[in-house]
Amino acid sequence: MSASHGHDGSHGHGSGHGHDHAADTSRSQNFLEKLYLPEIAKGLMHTLGHLFKKKFTMEYDGTDHTNPKKNHIPRPGYRGEHYLKKDEAGHVKCVACFMCAAACPAECIHIEAEATPSDWKDRERYPKRFEIDLLRCIYCGYCEEACPVDAIALSSAYNVVSQTREEKVYNRERLIDDGVKYGLSLSHHHYRPDGVPGALPAPKAGH
Amino acid sequence: MDLWLKLIPVFVVIGGLLGVVPLLVYFERKICAWLQDRIGPNRVGLLGPDSPLEVLGINSGNTRILGGLLQPLADAVKLFTKESFIPAGADRLLFTMAPFFALLPPMLAFIVIPVGSDFTIGGNTVMLQVADLKVGILFILAVLSMSSYGLAFGGWSSNNKFSLLGAVRSLAQMISYEIGLGILILAVIMTFDTVSLRDIVNMQAAGGTLFFGTWSCGPNWIWGWGIFHQPIAFVLFVVCAFAENNRLPFDLAECEAELVGGFHTEYSSMGFGMFFQGEYIAMLSMGALIATLFLGGWHYPGYAAVYNMSAGYPQLSHFIAALISLAAFGLKVAAYIFFSMWVRWSLPRFRWDQLMNLGWKTIVPLALANLLITAFLNLSSMDKPKPARLEPVARASRPLEPHAAGTAALRPFDGDTP
Repeated sequence: MSASHGHDGSHGHGSGHGHDHAADTSRSQNFLEKLYLPEIAKGLMHTLGHLFKKKFTMEYDGTDHTNPKKNHIPRPGYRGEHYLKKDEAGHVKCVACFMCAAACPAECIHIEAEATPSDWKDRERYPKRFEIDLLRCIYCGYCEEACPVDAIALSSAYNVVSQTREEKVYNRERLIDDGVKYGLSLSHHHYRPDGVPGALPAPKAGH
Repeated sequence: MDLWLKLIPVFVVIGGLLGVVPLLVYFERKICAWLQDRIGPNRVGLLGPDSPLEVLGINSGNTRILGGLLQPLADAVKLFTKESFIPAGADRLLFTMAPFFALLPPMLAFIVIPVGSDFTIGGNTVMLQVADLKVGILFILAVLSMSSYGLAFGGWSSNNKFSLLGAVRSLAQMISYEIGLGILILAVIMTFDTVSLRDIVNMQAAGGTLFFGTWSCGPNWIWGWGIFHQPIAFVLFVVCAFAENNRLPFDLAECEAELVGGFHTEYSSMGFGMFFQGEYIAMLSMGALIATLFLGGWHYPGYAAVYNMSAGYPQLSHFIAALISLAAFGLKVAAYIFFSMWVRWSLPRFRWDQLMNLGWKTIVPLALANLLITAFLNLSSMDKPKPARLEPVARASRPLEPHAAGTAALRPFDGDTP
């Protein structure tokens, strides 16, 4: 309506600016619309349709971590809470090289290394203390990227509740237990930028 | 014995009222959720995880039974355990009294409403109505207008300018819509020629009104209901009822969807809880009033058939008829409550000026026109004999009124009265 006014020159300008503005901002209502009730009935019928529609809510209650109807299972590559893996001998895989702590932009990983017991033949050091302050963590996944022995990884756990701040600082045992609890410690749940488990894709030419 | 018979309706009405409020809170949340494609409260149930037993440390299984039904209980526990706070500079007496003023008047309104038909136990008539006041409607109007004191006191005594503004807004709204409400009720009174709610329901149940003279469809049919005699009044009355209850689309008193809570901003704990309860009881009493005036009260189609079902045991069939009538009344009130929730979660709020325009420039003139039409119809049928009034069980406590005695021949239930 306003466009046609603008185009037919003298008439539009002659009728005055105030009138033009009124026509722009509000469409005049017809009689039925002024009665309110028919329009209200329309709106009510619309919402009544939604009353019987299928609901969007996913009824998860967190009881069963493997049932997609009970628990939201994130896509592969989702970066949830950390866990430490074990090797075949049942020891923690970590060699206490501090690479993850160095890579961590939030500085939330605290490691104290110790010489391995004499019967551990595969490495010289292991972490006596391994703590991740999950209140500081930004879940970037750099620790997993940095780890040379693939000992730390991010699980898909996203809904772990704590009631104190102290509980949110995970120690070594908790990190290992979490892996066991979610059945992840020996699985191939690796974070990759493309979300595909396994090896990183080769960089494309030209980039 | 006689006292106990009088107490039956008290227990039915007051007990039912207080028991139904938590259910309403539950259904409000459920219906809100369903209309928005959500599920709503489904955790706190009778058994299973999150149930009260589980909270007390008793293992009650892994499946939820009736999940969400006890959510209002959890809400009540939460409200009770909160601090009851009185702000600095508040008028302590008024501040404490206001929630009672919000809660009690809507409950009082219920006592004159007949919630079911009469029946007899051992020769004693039981009326499912706490008090059969001859000025029933006037009593309700008086009591409902008292409920605005709760809002006024709450807003005024809080020492908070937002509370005061909310109270002023809602007072202006309630007063202007009460006028429309009063005029509409006047038209209904003229239609039925009485202000006693009991007589109004009996007349609708008998299936005839003053308009049509001796015409009557009989107590088995619903054409005597007020909605068929005052359709315009019915629609306008429902609109006014929303405004009186401060429900959306007229919830300017609270605007709790996005502004502060209006008059009860400063209330916490059970003070807020009582305002909340009062709102739902006001909805119930408004629904009961609509059911009584327009939807035939406790009457239901096929009433006479049930009433006369068993010739050998008339008392039994009367009792069954009364039970069904109680359910029918509840169903009508529930229909209003559902409609009001449905509207609440569908429509946006009216602006302040739109609200006043609608009240004063639309509803009041329409109500006046409706009154005028009713008056003309009344005049045109003045010379005809008065219609039948249903008196299934004679009132033992008071003598027959002259007009009822004069129309005894029209009574549909001759022979049943002792």
